[in-house]
Amino acid sequence: MLFPTVLFAVFFPIVLMISWLLMPRQQLWKPFIIVASYVFYAAANWRFCLLLGGITLGNQLFAVLIHRAQTESGRKWLTGTAVALDLAVLAVFKYYAFFVQDIDDVLESLRLGIPLPLLTIALPVGVSFFTFQAISYVVDVKRREVEPASTIDVAVYLSFFPHLVAGPIVRAKEFLPQLQEPRDPKKVAAGSGIALIALGLVKKIVIADYLARAVVDPVFAVPQAYAGPDVWLAAYAYTAQIYCDFSGYTDMAIGLALLLGYVFPQNFRSPYRALGFRDFWRRWHMTLSRFLRDFLYIPLGGNRKGKVRTYINLFLTMLLGGLWHGAAWTFVLWGAFHGAGLAGEHALGERVKRIPVWLRWFITFHLVVFGWILFRSQSLALAGQFISRLFVSGSATLWSIPVVLAILVVIGLQLLPSKGVEGFQARIERIQPVLLGVGLAVVIAFTGATVSSHGVAPFIYFRF
Amino acid sequence: MPHDDSLMSRFDQQGLRKFRARDGILAVLICSLVLVLFEGPSIRRQGEQMNKGPGRTLVLAVGKPAGWLGDKLPLASASHDATSWLSPDDKLNAADSFANVAVTNTGIPPVTPDAFDQADLNEPAARKEPLHTLLVTGDSLSQPMDSELARLLSPKGVKVIRDPHLGSGISKSFLVDWGQLSADQVRKHKPDAIVVMIGANEGYPLDVGKKQIKCCGADWAAAYANRARRMLATYRQGGLARIYWITVPLTRDPKRAAIANVVDASIFVAAQPWRRQVRVIDSRPIFTPDGYRAAMKINGKETIVRASDGIHLNEPGSKLLAEDVLGRINRDFTVG
Repeated sequence: MLFPTVLFAVFFPIVLMISWLLMPRQQLWKPFIIVASYVFYAAANWRFCLLLGGITLGNQLFAVLIHRAQTESGRKWLTGTAVALDLAVLAVFKYYAFFVQDIDDVLESLRLGIPLPLLTIALPVGVSFFTFQAISYVVDVKRREVEPASTIDVAVYLSFFPHLVAGPIVRAKEFLPQLQEPRDPKKVAAGSGIALIALGLVKKIVIADYLARAVVDPVFAVPQAYAGPDVWLAAYAYTAQIYCDFSGYTDMAIGLALLLGYVFPQNFRSPYRALGFRDFWRRWHMTLSRFLRDFLYIPLGGNRKGKVRTYINLFLTMLLGGLWHGAAWTFVLWGAFHGAGLAGEHALGERVKRIPVWLRWFITFHLVVFGWILFRSQSLALAGQFISRLFVSGSATLWSIPVVLAILVVIGLQLLPSKGVEGFQARIERIQPVLLGVGLAVVIAFTGATVSSHGVAPFIYFRF
Repeated sequence: MPHDDSLMSRFDQQGLRKFRARDGILAVLICSLVLVLFEGPSIRRQGEQMNKGPGRTLVLAVGKPAGWLGDKLPLASASHDATSWLSPDDKLNAADSFANVAVTNTGIPPVTPDAFDQADLNEPAARKEPLHTLLVTGDSLSQPMDSELARLLSPKGVKVIRDPHLGSGISKSFLVDWGQLSADQVRKHKPDAIVVMIGANEGYPLDVGKKQIKCCGADWAAAYANRARRMLATYRQGGLARIYWITVPLTRDPKRAAIANVVDASIFVAAQPWRRQVRVIDSRPIFTPDGYRAAMKINGKETIVRASDGIHLNEPGSKLLAEDVLGRINRDFTVG
């Protein structure tokens, strides 16, 4: 079920009302919210619910066993097994076809035959997000950062519909404590919730989908049909589109959770004002970068084993982070590019700070834009074609005032002093929710009118 | 890597103004009420367009009374007037709608020369015309083949227009009326050749006169073929253009495959009067000669050709199909 659909618009008010009605009776609320979340998930394909249920029960079993284990080696072994099983689920559903084709190609070229069946397996929506959250739960239990929760709490944590399909990646230690007591019905950030939902809708439907239709999709599909001016425009447009698409989804997810009384972590903080790769990853998909740091970079040794190992660890972390996004070499290359950037920045150390701030911003921004070209291209060959077309002279056929304005607004707003933007948002969030409700209806009516007959395009991060 | 663990503070901080839960519920209900009053018919229409199931029932449970209310009050039309200028869709001519095309029965239909492919008559091939504009259209099945064709033809100076309409179907005219759309495409682009691949979203009841025919018997196939023939008549532009209509390869899901069988059979029938201009490219011998398969040999190498949904072709599959289509186009046109 997509957030910006009529089905969800009917589903959510019903769930919201029943949720607050049952909130004081947690023994009723928890089964209710699990059922609601599974209904939400089943709208994509009911069979995927079996996978979600299996992951929940499997990880809960391991969390309890880890907690009961007498020895540290036992805890490690059990945690390793649980993580391996979670990753195996990802491997089968997300990466099987990708790897099997490449492995078979190599074996075939060596005339060793094809040992693995070439199958395609349906990709469950959001599998990357809920398996990562499951991993975070068992690892947090192993690290004694959380106690094993009841099975029903774990089921709520993993299936809670606002974050189920595209995050943010909420850590167990952030969410499980919120399930200990009923949420206080007198302390609900309803204004913030509604304002965020409206903001997310505008970002996704008005800006992201428009830029995709008008510029991004045509140029990235056939870059050789366009000259430099259009190709540059498409690169900037995708930079704005992916931010609005993903942060728009996150805004809606956080807003819906706030209305239900729950708090999610922040996922974006003006990423295009970053002054380096490290700064970028502190602002972009913050819950993923935190996950990669805590569950990959630090276990690999982090910066504790010398300079060279630090660079290798950074590179490997981002390489795997790239692969997490999708089973394609373009994502791997994107990850490698960011890994190399982080390692290079680390190697330069304080010398980076000698570069004027405006130049650091300009370089960082354009390196990020370059990374998005790799990320968006359907193949490495097309990425190469896109990049080569950047320097081909020709006419600008796709430039228009709305497109340029949309890109400037999205990127420009992030460059404004954050206090001003956040202050403005905070003022809106303080408005009486009833007034905001009317405002949200107006936003829905107007954004709905901009939806083409194809409907709302799926969120980019749904594929991951 | 980031070292800031306080990601919860933004939305958990004391500075956020807190309200009562009932304020939040009231706000959502007021929003819903405003939408019901101003967008009621739109909610009903969207419910009617959904596939059968509990979701559709739920939306229609709200949409029907909301639509009724919208019909009675002037608010919905005021809202439509205020927002319709924002629609990115082209305005289609209602006169071209399937609903307005009467299927007339005027006795024995004449057979015309256009019903014969020159190759079948051992006639010398007609002089090849240069290909200036190619329209590639259909539902999601036409992607990413459309991009592959564009990549193959754009460098040769052919203008390739890609116009996919995702989620649409010839039997799903409540979403996109392909009768109207095909007429609009021809008016706007005047293509020399049209590649069509559609059929992933079929199986909906077809209105014929006052009758509604359910999928998938001979009467439904006939009604479907009539619609497809109407589109072919539009696309062929009186015999000036060539059409390459690609059938639907078998899908993994047997229910969808059963519908695809009927759709494909209808297309062969629909194309019969104009075999001189219409090439039906049967994708089944290429991709699913003995039933559904995810992989096949391409250039001697076993390659996955289907997407994970078991419906669409993936990139290697689309590339293979695009090359086949290009081969057919090259027989009729000079390219480059």
